[in-house]
Amino acid sequence: MVTKSDTEPVQIEIFPRRFLNPETAQRLLDEIYRSEGVIRIMIQGPNLPRAIPYGPGKGIPIEEHKNLLLQLGEQALELRVKVGRIGLELESEEHIEGIRAACERTLPCSFNIKKRQLFHTKPTVSDYAKYGSEVDDKRILGLVDPKAKKDRNLAMLSDSRGDS
Amino acid sequence: MAYKPQYYPGTTSVGKNRRKHMSGDLEKLRDISDADVVTIMGHRAPGADYPSTHPPLAEMGEPDCPIRQIVTPTPGAAAGDRIRYSQFADSMYNAPAIPYFRSYWGAINCRGCDPGTLSGRQIIEARERDIEQYTKAQMDSEMNDVALSSMRGCTVHGHSLRLDEDGMMFDMLARTEMGSDGSVYYVKDQVGIPLDRKVNVGKPMSEAEVAKKTTIFRSDNISFRGDEGLIALHHMWERRSKWGFRPE
Repeated sequence: MVTKSDTEPVQIEIFPRRFLNPETAQRLLDEIYRSEGVIRIMIQGPNLPRAIPYGPGKGIPIEEHKNLLLQLGEQALELRVKVGRIGLELESEEHIEGIRAACERTLPCSFNIKKRQLFHTKPTVSDYAKYGSEVDDKRILGLVDPKAKKDRNLAMLSDSRGDS
Repeated sequence: MAYKPQYYPGTTSVGKNRRKHMSGDLEKLRDISDADVVTIMGHRAPGADYPSTHPPLAEMGEPDCPIRQIVTPTPGAAAGDRIRYSQFADSMYNAPAIPYFRSYWGAINCRGCDPGTLSGRQIIEARERDIEQYTKAQMDSEMNDVALSSMRGCTVHGHSLRLDEDGMMFDMLARTEMGSDGSVYYVKDQVGIPLDRKVNVGKPMSEAEVAKKTTIFRSDNISFRGDEGLIALHHMWERRSKWGFRPE
């Protein structure tokens, strides 16, 4: 997404007062993506299942949650959560104001921006299980969903235990 | 002198609302038809006969029992109906009811019911025709706000989550939706099975109105610290600590 920089990266969390509709989330992410200095983006929120997970209606598809897509630059991601918080890693602190302005332009509700450590710096057990003992691109550390299903979310499983 | 129950202390609006819920002296805000309530509950098709688990009590020849002579059976028990349930989730963002006060309402005002209180949801079980009546009473009254309370038989979480952009409580199964006319519609029954037609349950209250009608103490509305209920609670705590709660 961006090139390396000499400044110290910062991590911030955008916490809107309301959960965001997919359309609002898309508008906000477009604005964030256009802002400069973004290294990583993480979207968090409660799960939007594709089918009723349990109870008498178990297995019935939830049509409202089908085909929810987020477009980020050239890539389309399947939206599987109700967007509740957005974690960002920025190249430097000076980019925070640009993100704040993007939030003010797009969010229909009040929001907080907190600066804190969001992303892991060392591999977790989940990272090890999915990527092996050596990870070339450290930016993916801690971004693995521990509950990710192998057939659905598991994209990078190292058979060579990091030897490759 | 006739006994007058004292339900809950406090002079704040929350204290007053809690007393209203417990006493059952609730304002009726809307009139959802019986058929719509039955549709949302999803236990039987509206208009269908009530399935039964035993013959009507009148035909069963009950044993000679003084308690049975004193207690009149509810219509559902007399007919031998099945036990069914309705369960509600209430948002912590000033929903009018909370699980404990739905339970108090049920235990005090509804005969033959079994209220179950959980952290973010509340279930009442009773004979089928009784629970339909109790559910309608809850949905029609000021215990319910259509955006902040919803009937959820399973996958209930939403109580402690932020609201959606349109002010509705988050629902993982998308059982309710805000219509373009500003009314809330149930599009699925309480366990998430899609309905043949949408059920209109009316318009939600304004934020100012729910803040007045809520039974929830919140630091950004009516704080618990400012309520007489806290003094009463301290009083009870002191008494039961010192003397094992013997009010005499």
